[in-house]
Amino acid sequence: MSARYTDILATVIQKVRDTVNEDWIREYPIGPQTQISRDLEIESIEMVILASSIQRHYGARLSLVDWLSGRSLEDLISLSVGDLVRHIDQALPPDA
Amino acid sequence: MGRILIATLPLAGHLYPALAIASKLSRRGHTVAWATPPAGLSSRLLADGQVFPLPLLAEQPPDLDRTQARGFESVRTFFEHYALPMARQTFEALREAVTVFQPDAWLVDHQMVGAAIAARASDRPWATLATSSASIHRVHPTMDAWVADALGQLQTELLPGRPPVERPDFSPHAVIVPSVEALIGERRARFEAAYHFVGPLRDEARADSPFPWSWLQPDRRKILVSLGTVNRDLGSRFFEMICDAMRLLPDVQAILVAPETVAGGAPDNVLVCQQVPQISLLARVDGVLCHAGHNTVCEALAQGVPLIVSPIRHDQPLIAEQVLLAGAGLFLRHGKATASATSALIRQLLEDPGPRSRAAELSVAMRSASGADGAADVIERLLTPGERP
Repeated sequence: MSARYTDILATVIQKVRDTVNEDWIREYPIGPQTQISRDLEIESIEMVILASSIQRHYGARLSLVDWLSGRSLEDLISLSVGDLVRHIDQALPPDA
Repeated sequence: MGRILIATLPLAGHLYPALAIASKLSRRGHTVAWATPPAGLSSRLLADGQVFPLPLLAEQPPDLDRTQARGFESVRTFFEHYALPMARQTFEALREAVTVFQPDAWLVDHQMVGAAIAARASDRPWATLATSSASIHRVHPTMDAWVADALGQLQTELLPGRPPVERPDFSPHAVIVPSVEALIGERRARFEAAYHFVGPLRDEARADSPFPWSWLQPDRRKILVSLGTVNRDLGSRFFEMICDAMRLLPDVQAILVAPETVAGGAPDNVLVCQQVPQISLLARVDGVLCHAGHNTVCEALAQGVPLIVSPIRHDQPLIAEQVLLAGAGLFLRHGKATASATSALIRQLLEDPGPRSRAAELSVAMRSASGADGAADVIERLLTPGERP
């Protein structure tokens, strides 16, 4: 696992904790396997807030909303923290 | 005078709004008939005109209501295991009802897609009753496309030779929405349709169920906790958590619409009821904690009562979103709620003037909407070709 992957994973996990911002999430174990809808009950407007907050962090180098719009229903249902991290890792330029 | 065929489901959230419109139509001299599965609350219809019983779902999976699915997965399950099979199984019976009853117009619940397609095939005017305003929203490009594709296949199958439309459940003539635009908001795009926002549809003939009114203490603040009739029997863990939260709030009373088994472990300030006269009770409480079911939310806001919304699945996250964006409530994550966080949230609901004043503003909009009379007017206009909207 590259240092960059580890960095992005830490950023995404922090964005999840900040977006949810409730007592339970501070101690809740979050890793690449954690599913956004099934495990964290993040949906509708909260998912939009999470995506925008990650988007703001990385700026114009990626377009998370477009990427999410193109996912299949199955992919969205099981969307995990690792899916987001892998996409960001692939979308960012190599030296970013 | 016209003959109106109403296709709906025998569930409280669907049947009661339709009954409210039907009683207005009957009082105006129209003849109303019903097409509905002979289950649930359909015995309420015996006094209300002819009933065409629709075949019950033979293979309805017994665990449909017990599935842990949430989010988009619950929407897919809802279509695959409920709405689509029901449409296929009821379509022929609905076409027969047209032959026998010869309706001049239809009123079709938005979940009765088979009836909507039969109405289209009948070449008679019809109105959709969107018993949850969530269905007018575009949700997500992927989810919307999946639904359109599933409904497209259904149309090709039931009505070969007619080009499928994106939303066969929405009438091209009129879509009646028992909510108000002030709540629905503009943040999410809507499907194009001829909407009529009529506000809550109250069936004035509906009798109140008994309630021990003397249990309510005038010097205590009170909340009503309800997960709706469909979820009532599922949420034991949730209700036990609420009981623990209420132990931390001895100066507040809570009425729980919950299974009787919850009563054993309930503290003194919690009353467990299996049924409540919800509209009368809403006039006496200071807050509601609910699953964001469309009817409960609109009935509470019509009386200016702010809410804690704890959506579980289906349309509930979207209705919860409406409440939160309108500022009339607080959010409780259903599966993660703890007693201490919930008690703090209840305290906030009772003490924060923000949600209460937004709920009061929405109550003005709800109460000034045209209601069941307005909905009956929409259907009457369908009967007059020159005035068809």
